[in-house]
Amino acid sequence: MTEDPKFAQLRARLAEVNDLTKAATLLFWDQRVMMPPGGSAARAEALATVSRLAQERFVADDIGKLLEDLRGLEESSDYDSFEASLIRVTRHDYEKATRVPPELVGEMRRASVYALSAWGPAKAESDFEQLRPHLEKNLELRHRYVECFDPAEETYDVLLDDYEPNMKTAEVREVFDELKEELLPLIKEIGDAGEIDDSFLTGEFDPAVQRGLGLEIVRHFGYTDEEWRLHETPHPFMSSPGVGDIRLTANFRPTDLHSLFASMHEFGHGVYEWGVEPSLARTPLGSGVSLGVHESQSRLWENLVGRSRSFWRFFYPRLQEAFPQQLGSVDEEAFFRAVNKVHPSLIRIDADEVTYNMHIILRFELEQELIENRLAVKDLPEAWNARMAEYLGVDVPDDARGVLQDMHWAAGNLGYFPTYSLGNVISVQIWERAKEDLGDLDERFERGEFGELREWLREHLYRMGRKFTPQETIERATGSRIDAKPYVRYLREKLAPQHAS
Amino acid sequence: MIVATASPPLERLKAILAEISDLKHVESILDWDARVSMPPAGARARAEVSATLTRLGHERFVSDEVGELLDELKSVEEETDSALIRATRREWERARRVPTELAGEMAQASGVAVAAWDEAKAMSDFVSFIPHLERQLELKHRYIECFPEAETAYDVLLEDYEEGLTTTQVVDVFDRLKRELVPLIERRQPVDDAPLRGPFPLSGQEAAGRRVLEAFGFDDESWRIDETPHPFASKPGAGDIRLTTHTNANDLTSLFSTIHEFGHGVYEFDIDQAFARTPLGRGTSSAIHESQSRTWENLVGRSPGFWRWFYPQLQAIFPDALGGIDEESFVRAVNAVRPGLIRGDADEVTYGLHIILRFELEQELLAGTVAVRDLPEIWNARMKEYLGVDVPDDARGVLQDMHWSVGLFGYFPTYQLGNVISVQIWERALADLGDLDEQFARGEFGALREWLREQIYRHGSKYPPRELLRRVTGSDLDPGPYLEYLRTKFA
Repeated sequence: MTEDPKFAQLRARLAEVNDLTKAATLLFWDQRVMMPPGGSAARAEALATVSRLAQERFVADDIGKLLEDLRGLEESSDYDSFEASLIRVTRHDYEKATRVPPELVGEMRRASVYALSAWGPAKAESDFEQLRPHLEKNLELRHRYVECFDPAEETYDVLLDDYEPNMKTAEVREVFDELKEELLPLIKEIGDAGEIDDSFLTGEFDPAVQRGLGLEIVRHFGYTDEEWRLHETPHPFMSSPGVGDIRLTANFRPTDLHSLFASMHEFGHGVYEWGVEPSLARTPLGSGVSLGVHESQSRLWENLVGRSRSFWRFFYPRLQEAFPQQLGSVDEEAFFRAVNKVHPSLIRIDADEVTYNMHIILRFELEQELIENRLAVKDLPEAWNARMAEYLGVDVPDDARGVLQDMHWAAGNLGYFPTYSLGNVISVQIWERAKEDLGDLDERFERGEFGELREWLREHLYRMGRKFTPQETIERATGSRIDAKPYVRYLREKLAPQHAS
Repeated sequence: MIVATASPPLERLKAILAEISDLKHVESILDWDARVSMPPAGARARAEVSATLTRLGHERFVSDEVGELLDELKSVEEETDSALIRATRREWERARRVPTELAGEMAQASGVAVAAWDEAKAMSDFVSFIPHLERQLELKHRYIECFPEAETAYDVLLEDYEEGLTTTQVVDVFDRLKRELVPLIERRQPVDDAPLRGPFPLSGQEAAGRRVLEAFGFDDESWRIDETPHPFASKPGAGDIRLTTHTNANDLTSLFSTIHEFGHGVYEFDIDQAFARTPLGRGTSSAIHESQSRTWENLVGRSPGFWRWFYPQLQAIFPDALGGIDEESFVRAVNAVRPGLIRGDADEVTYGLHIILRFELEQELLAGTVAVRDLPEIWNARMKEYLGVDVPDDARGVLQDMHWSVGLFGYFPTYQLGNVISVQIWERALADLGDLDEQFARGEFGALREWLREQIYRHGSKYPPRELLRRVTGSDLDPGPYLEYLRTKFA
């Protein structure tokens, strides 16, 4: 069968937009990994131009016209078919993109650049006042952004939709309420059981050796030199500037082993992109479906694999061999407990598997109060500190380690945080399903075998790319809707006993 | 930047040129990354992205709007603005001849062929490269057909790299070189190459390279250097200069290629900032560019003064290899005439013959008198004839250079013209600055760099290459000074 000529035209236009987007992805990666600082002014111009061109060419009238003309093809094609999926998803993206006037897009981008440059010094000096006017500006622009769309049940729905398409605030609230209800007592229980010794995780760990170990681990998971790269940056991230080209970064701090977990985390993001069906490349379908589902994969490889007992049964001897002075006399059980230690603390990105979610719930709640004008920006630090005391029992000593710790709000990313915890929740739903199909994974991990898990994930999740909505994707992969129970059960089973003994 | 149609035409033109220059910035990163960072499996997708960027940039540039603005701006008088209009019109008229589809196809084919060449070279497998080379030639023929008025096919290609240069002019210069170089090679003195055999541990070479670069003006704020199989220099945008080098433990070629790439980099770095994001914001031609890489590599980097300063430091870095070798023997060794297989490693005398060989083969390939599949045999025969060397495999023969894989036919002659021009400019610098050797011996290179910046670098593409050459040296392209330099140094 020959391809519908209009469909071919649409594909060609989308391929062009995709190429521009991938070029921007590479420029961004290069800026963070390679570019000498002197190049930043020229880079800002180039990045702005290529991003603008990508946007302009996507919202062009002829794409809208093609999408209208292709309604017939969409309706006559199977829902799961490439044709129907591409038309459906592109229409969703197109309708969203054409709602927002380019001037507002530009204004939001500029405001976030200014706010981000104020955020750095504000955090360094722990001075919220420096950032306050920028946050107020970002919030005002977000209000204007929300107004571009049909009224939603809750204002926050519009923000959330940018990161977790079709997800409603009420659905997230339901999941988070359940987490809160279960986790607060668990945190208390674990706290009452007494401290676990993790002092040996701080010390001198040669960054070059860490890099070698990180590579060794991700190679066991599926990294190859043919398709992957690992570099160093202060803030780890994953980037895929094209099919067959997956790039991870990690931060090899000389004082701890965090980089091993960061490498596994970024591998999880990378392997998701790697596993997307190659025939979806150069279309809007050729990437992970949402931030929440993406995070479920980084969390799965970091926590469900990388903090499992069986993984460390396999890998701990190598780690001891690499760091004999630091770990020679620490047995596997002690190490396993230390890397799974639950302990309330100030900083989200250093938090353990359990308390992490409370950091997110706090931000989710504050974001809603801000966008609904129930909380003023100036009162944010106070509200933050009160809730940290309430949820985690910690006193915030300064705003640098409080409300100023994350860059998201300065960058204008309101509605982003919940996807992190949704990722945790989804990760265990998928995990349980994988174990149902594959049987005992622990035995395989102990032998250093991760290929079957990776292939299962590729087959049941990764290859779908963006063909379906996040919810449809989760249902297809797990057989159920988003559900906090498996995650809570997992945390309880894994963490309560070892802290109790 | 969105510039309203009511703005003055010059502003509107500059806004379009800035956008096109941004797209070139992107292409330059796509290319640098493909050669430095990209995992091999990314090549196909990368070729598509490059093709799209090339196509969009081309489309935007060849628009009627640009032509109309150029017409409106015909009588601009301010010197730089009129240079901008002149340079833009020339590029616009050439680009407009080429269908956008062809421009995209050429970018796409290059992305695929360069990856194939990499593999073919690694395996020394010319046969796997044949279809790619044939495809490049086919595209070149289609490109040449866009310029039916050119006297010869090769003229079309030369014009892309060297404004105003014709094949006949190149033949004149090369014939004279060939006549004089061959006897120089025949009469060469045997030189002991023991000082260059090493071993030179890679970390020491890296340190040596950095020390030299920093003395010349390299800093971490605006420069970086990486390791690649084939050294090159790249400027994605102002304030971002990237060099690469290829280091072997058994020789010091990396040091010289590093200095060579610095020459390209410093030319770009020193271009007037006001020219950024316009067609004036890059070096004016390939040959002038090469004259600068050659100046730093050969006229500075192989000079007695330079080594008086640097040799003790190099000895300290490599005490095992160089501790027992005196400065004079070392300088003699790095200036030895020694026919070899690899263009990039060739000495100042034999280098020209590597180029002449390529120049001749390119013309024959385009004329169809040599078929792609016969290329290795002819290459090897001619290497024997010109340089008396036996080519043991295609990796060290016809596959050694990447140029043809990315469609760079007509480019090689500019290398040798760069040698010629470097000495023309050098003579002028010596006349103005006096004894540079003394300064080099003290590790001082600032006066030379400043003179070159003032005379050449800052102008970017403001003057066409031959005009720049005349402004700096008072004469046109002239192999006389270069031959005189070689005779004095090597005869």
